[in-house]
Amino acid sequence: MARKLEITGLSKWFGDLEAVRGLDVAVERGEFIAVVGPSGCGKTTFLRMVAGLEPATSGTILLDGAPLTGPGGNRGFVFQNDSLLPWRTVLGNALIGPEVAGSLDASARQRTLDLLKLVGLGGFENYHPRQLSGGMRQRVNLARALAIDPDVLLMDEPFASLDAQTREIMQTELLRIWEQGRKTVLFVTHQIDEAVFLADRVLVLARRPGRLQENVKIELPRPRALDLKRKPEFVAYVDRIWRMIEDDVRTAVIEEHV
Amino acid sequence: MLERLRQNYLAGTLSVVGGLLLWELVSRLIIANPLFLAAPTQIIEAVYALSLTGEMWRHVSISAIEFALGYVIASVIGIAFGFGMANSARFKQALQPWISGLYATPTIALAPLFILWLGIGIWSKVLVVIFLVLFPVTINTEAGLRTTSERLIEMLRSFGATERQIFFKVSLPSALPFILAGLKLGIGRGLIGVVVAELFGSRAGLGRLISQSADSFNMPELFAGVIVLAVAGIAMTAGFGWVEKKLVPWTRD
Repeated sequence: MARKLEITGLSKWFGDLEAVRGLDVAVERGEFIAVVGPSGCGKTTFLRMVAGLEPATSGTILLDGAPLTGPGGNRGFVFQNDSLLPWRTVLGNALIGPEVAGSLDASARQRTLDLLKLVGLGGFENYHPRQLSGGMRQRVNLARALAIDPDVLLMDEPFASLDAQTREIMQTELLRIWEQGRKTVLFVTHQIDEAVFLADRVLVLARRPGRLQENVKIELPRPRALDLKRKPEFVAYVDRIWRMIEDDVRTAVIEEHV
Repeated sequence: MLERLRQNYLAGTLSVVGGLLLWELVSRLIIANPLFLAAPTQIIEAVYALSLTGEMWRHVSISAIEFALGYVIASVIGIAFGFGMANSARFKQALQPWISGLYATPTIALAPLFILWLGIGIWSKVLVVIFLVLFPVTINTEAGLRTTSERLIEMLRSFGATERQIFFKVSLPSALPFILAGLKLGIGRGLIGVVVAELFGSRAGLGRLISQSADSFNMPELFAGVIVLAVAGIAMTAGFGWVEKKLVPWTRD
């Protein structure tokens, strides 16, 4: 299989703070990758560099063999806060990608309408963000990223601000939607169970500086349903990853409270 | 619908009607001298009489032209200045001291000077209105553009948007409520500017009506001028509220 993403020696310095050190990651086409780690491990910085929102200090990112330099329509970013434009309707928000790319035509509109149905927002096309719940806003956020039909979907803790029940529903919804197109996904989260539940592979990052600590292949059958979270093999994965980062998390918690 | 209307307006209507009634009684029975206080009915009569002779229209139209010219010119310049200041740090640095200084100064005191320069025709009043309306519009436009959410800008950037697209799709719409608020502030200030400038010297206008009525101790006509002004102010502000509701509905609640 061809490599979708090939990341080599990716590093980032903010002034004299080393945020990310020498990340090497290879992602296959259609792979669902989750990135976990304690706060300060640079996981969001890593994702932003792939998105082109943050320039890398050194290293290369190849998408289908071509180097990435800035943001572009071949990557769809799903933001932690929904970042919806409050003056636009659900449809207007979801169409922003094609609009920016100058490819807003009848077929783009139809595809986006279909996507909104796929994410469960059929009938809400003309609502405004203020009329939607947090979970629904994140569905728009996801549809907006998918509307440009990106090669890679980059998700930055998209469910972090949702309540626990909504989050679990959104996790299964994401898998259902993902099964439809099997896009390549990089999903950043600080929740280990979320990472294990969603991903084919979990990248575990260590902090200060952020670097790859472990690469855990999740061999759980798909399609996955919520009851998987109670199975011993699931719990074993979560436990294993938790033990990898436990010390790091403790240090992070102590540092941040001082 | 009717029920809600009644709930929203009942207290207000009652207090206005009660106040007018009290005013009528006090001026008719206690003061009983229109030289000191004209009763509401006398004021209405004066408005009616002035309207019949065409006198009222003459004053209203002159003031309206002065206000409209000054308001439109100030809005255009103010929005342009605000854009310039938001886009260029140097331009902002150059303009800021003038704006801070002149916004805080009661520029209305300069009206006699403007009359000296431009005569007692409409242009001296237009200039006063410009001075009063310009600053809130400039300041609000600049603030609105400056406070555009970084998150929204970044969202658009992630789709590969150009600076131009970011400006038109995010900065401008998110600044719109601020710009409208500045324009709304300008209505009241502009009206005050017109009338006070006319008081200092003019041939016609509501300020002129008020000052000539005061000179001849005609209280009903004086109040007639004030009432017409008040109604104009209320109507314009209310109309503006309606425009805001249509243009920037997301700022409610």
